Amino acid sequence: MALREHVEACRGVETPFGKIIPEKEAYSYCLRTIAAFSANIFQVMRLLNDDWEDRTASITEIANMMNCAACAGGEGQLREYLDQFYDDWNIPELVDREAWIGAIWGDYGDEAEDMAGRVIQFTKNRVEKELDTCPWDIVGSEMCNMTTGMFTANFDIAAGDKPGAITNDVQLNMCEARGCGDRHCRVVAERLDHYGLERQGWLDHRGPSHDPVHNTPEERCVRHAQGIRNGQYTQTFGEENSLEWQYNWVAQMGWVWSISFPLIAIRDMADDDETFERFLQIVFATAGKNSFIDPFAREGLRAWLDVPREIGDNDPRLMGAYIAAVMGCQLVPFEWEAFDKDGVTIKVSTDDFNGRFPMAPLDEITMGYEAHWNGAVKTLVSPEWSVWIDGKDDEFQYINVGRKIDPRML
Amino acid sequence: MLFKEDEVARADAMAVRKDTGWFRWTHDTVEVKGPDATGLLDRLLVNTVAACPVGRERYTTMLNEDGLIIDDLMAMHLDEDHWWLSTLYGPHMVRWIDAHKGDADVTYEDITPSVDMYSVQGPTSGEVMDAVCADPVSGLRRFELARTKVAERDVLVDRGGFTGELGFEVYCSRADSDAVAAALRATGKRELQTLEVYVRSLPIEKGMALRQDYHLLTPFEANLGWSVHFDKKGDFVGREALEASHAAGERRAFVGVEIERESYEDIAQNEIVYKRGVPVGRCRQMIYGYTVDKNIGFAIVDREKCPLGTRVTIGTNDSPAVIVEPTWC
Repeated sequence: MALREHVEACRGVETPFGKIIPEKEAYSYCLRTIAAFSANIFQVMRLLNDDWEDRTASITEIANMMNCAACAGGEGQLREYLDQFYDDWNIPELVDREAWIGAIWGDYGDEAEDMAGRVIQFTKNRVEKELDTCPWDIVGSEMCNMTTGMFTANFDIAAGDKPGAITNDVQLNMCEARGCGDRHCRVVAERLDHYGLERQGWLDHRGPSHDPVHNTPEERCVRHAQGIRNGQYTQTFGEENSLEWQYNWVAQMGWVWSISFPLIAIRDMADDDETFERFLQIVFATAGKNSFIDPFAREGLRAWLDVPREIGDNDPRLMGAYIAAVMGCQLVPFEWEAFDKDGVTIKVSTDDFNGRFPMAPLDEITMGYEAHWNGAVKTLVSPEWSVWIDGKDDEFQYINVGRKIDPRML
Repeated sequence: MLFKEDEVARADAMAVRKDTGWFRWTHDTVEVKGPDATGLLDRLLVNTVAACPVGRERYTTMLNEDGLIIDDLMAMHLDEDHWWLSTLYGPHMVRWIDAHKGDADVTYEDITPSVDMYSVQGPTSGEVMDAVCADPVSGLRRFELARTKVAERDVLVDRGGFTGELGFEVYCSRADSDAVAAALRATGKRELQTLEVYVRSLPIEKGMALRQDYHLLTPFEANLGWSVHFDKKGDFVGREALEASHAAGERRAFVGVEIERESYEDIAQNEIVYKRGVPVGRCRQMIYGYTVDKNIGFAIVDREKCPLGTRVTIGTNDSPAVIVEPTWC
């Protein structure tokens, strides 16, 4: 047998030291970084508003409204939107597709976000979805309620008997939530008319299932969604999404539902923008410092990025490589301007960095990461180094790792 | 996903196997008319559609230029130069006709929004249909069509279905759908509740697959070689590639698998099938079969490596399974 001519190309994110982070690992890490950003934002929310019910209702309402708005328009526009959806996903009329568009939609979203699990039941009156994993399980219970309330909109846009109208005909409950410590997330949609149920308020989305649930034994749970397990997602009607499609989709949409939507309400919880931004910077700076407080965290990062021993502990390239790994795994294109022992500069388009989903750019990404990375460099490298971002209002931003004396360091 | 303890699903399945059950079964319907309609369809579809007489329908696959299945459907010959194509992929079908009609003198349209269809299935379904229709239909031959009335509404009845039992399908206008459903409900026979029972469990037990199971196989790999008649028809889309691949010999096999665990929650469509730890294929749908009381499904595997009886594992939890014929009862 002849030898191969060359080593096969391996898809992944390359570190400055030539190590390839494999695509599936990069995808998984991307999700977790978005979830971590979301967790920080939710900490800001808790500082601004100490009333669980009030803050949860606020973010749930705004997320639901924004999700409805995404499908807003006249009856004809909604009809066209739905027909395109059915066509894209090959959803046949025989499934009463208008009744369960939310479940179909939710399943591919879950799978893209590596919320691994299964549709337990899909009937005319009830859908049960069980999840074994959730990268967002660190964010907190407000998010569990919010996402369920938000995705009720996906049922509302087509579940009723008024084609083209946004109605409300199901209860959607996250009966169990990994973010609250349960072994599974379990989301159940049940028709109001069939079960004799009332319409839900914003805080009612953690209610019980009205039919018995099916609990998958631990030995048959899965650790990753289909994309990472099998290389693609295949939905009920056979249509497939590639791993690449899912990765790209979630690198955009993950920022929208878990950060952009709740942020609208969270900003309003502050008396003014300055207060919000002060809280945000404090939370992210603290999270950053804590990232590398443990010596094994620093050693783990070195191993992950394959940092050569010639680069010592007090070298800015450590931080630069870390930032590049985060951005690379988040599919943000960038260029190196400098990468040596005197400092690191990374050039990135502001549109790319803040506008992960182009229609919903988030200035908070720059603000949050600047504080986070400036905190992280203190423990990953040393307090002699800082991270700051120049050109925040320009076409290109420059992320710098450099020496800086800051008498008022956060 | 179905489980053996689901008594509603079991009752749905047993109604069809032992008595009669009915359910809304509306497929996408593409209407094709015109002097060249039959010729065009004979060129697009694999089976001998041109030989299908008026008042009958024919099962067929549709291939791409590589000779691989992109749809399977019923071609219903309603009248001279007038066909309905019953598919689950109406918009795709229209685009495919767009791309291949050339100068053919035809008109075609996805008429799904104006058509509804109910399926009445089970060993006693003939009696039920005779009771509900204005004219007797129990004497129809398999895949024969008849026009009659239900609840005084015009309907088209075909003797067919997707459960492996005696059965009928009732086409009506969307405007008449409620009246037809009410008439069927008034028979007292069970209206099936569980989608997966009639879309997957009942058909799979009888070896009946959906296009998504066959997608991009050749008809020979899909065990549908009986529907290919190289000697009885002229050219059709994908013929040359299909002839070549068939001459070279099929590499893949469409088989059945039986899961040897209590349930199959960790097996999605397209889960990887392993033989001694080495990938040898992919699953298609797994389901619980209430007639056979087993977790069963389809898989596409390497034909040489996986003869019947081969023991395999499926998925990341190494669920044990065995390769079997893709039909259970």
